[in-house]
Amino acid sequence: MGKKRTKLDVTKDILEVLKNYREVKITHLIYKSNLSNNSIKPYLKELTENALVEEVNEKDKKYFKITQKGNAFLNEYSKIRVFADSYGLDV
Amino acid sequence: MVGILSPERFYGIDVFVDSLIILVAALISYQSRKIYLFINEKNYEFFSWAFLSIAISFFFKVIADLTILKAIRITQPNFIAEIVHEQLETLQLINFFAALLYKIFLMLGFMTFFLIVNKNKKSDNVLLFIYLSILTVILSIYFHFIFYFTLAVIVLLLTIYFYDNYKKKKTKNRLLVFLAFLLVLISNLLGIFYEFSPEIYLIEELFLFFGFLTLLANHLRLKNGKEKNKT
Repeated sequence: MGKKRTKLDVTKDILEVLKNYREVKITHLIYKSNLSNNSIKPYLKELTENALVEEVNEKDKKYFKITQKGNAFLNEYSKIRVFADSYGLDV
Repeated sequence: MVGILSPERFYGIDVFVDSLIILVAALISYQSRKIYLFINEKNYEFFSWAFLSIAISFFFKVIADLTILKAIRITQPNFIAEIVHEQLETLQLINFFAALLYKIFLMLGFMTFFLIVNKNKKSDNVLLFIYLSILTVILSIYFHFIFYFTLAVIVLLLTIYFYDNYKKKKTKNRLLVFLAFLLVLISNLLGIFYEFSPEIYLIEELFLFFGFLTLLANHLRLKNGKEKNKT
């Protein structure tokens, strides 16, 4: 059994899917990020509020895409991860 | 009233050590602030404030140390007694308030740090801790050892937390943070007895220096995102 992912890990996983697939529907995101429909919603809400992800509404279809800030987070992720781990701040 | 922090013969050495601590604490505070701006997690914001408070406290310690240095310089040439007396009174006042602010910010920083790692967010507990911190600083104006004793207790609890953190997953980064806090703990324990001998102050400063140097080493490892298992 794999380790339980932290909030930082899940954030990184969602952003990586969005980076690789550009505009992604929620169903695809659920499948690729290995999360349930219920658990992904609060993450997406928070990521959108923090401007790491952008919600795109097009002809009754809803997509998500990564923002510039989201890309910056991915670039900094390894540093953030080690920092949080060093001080036991993992969330 | 106790204002003076460093004994006369170590002027200059402590300013160098304290400047390094300001730099390290500011770097850690900045990194934590950056993470907070990404994910808006309160823990990182408080963590950033805790280290900023530590940096500010050592800035005031540098001021306190420099006032003693200045006091020595103006008394040495033996100018007109009245001018020297006036200047000394001003310096004494600056020294007293700088030393007091050093204690307030340092206690605030470590107390905030302790509350974060213990995930203690109940407002009653936070208020109790603030009250006890203020009481400690006021009492330390008259009894210096009380400040270092209280600080040593907080740092001891933090060191135990970082030891547990290391035991859970033995990475070099976790080990470095644990060792850094162990060194800071030894420094604070020595601080309790520093009024008895000026030599103790020098050893205390050395432990503090190596403690923050270890934190700096860990911070530099972050640049490469290094996280290797020790075993």
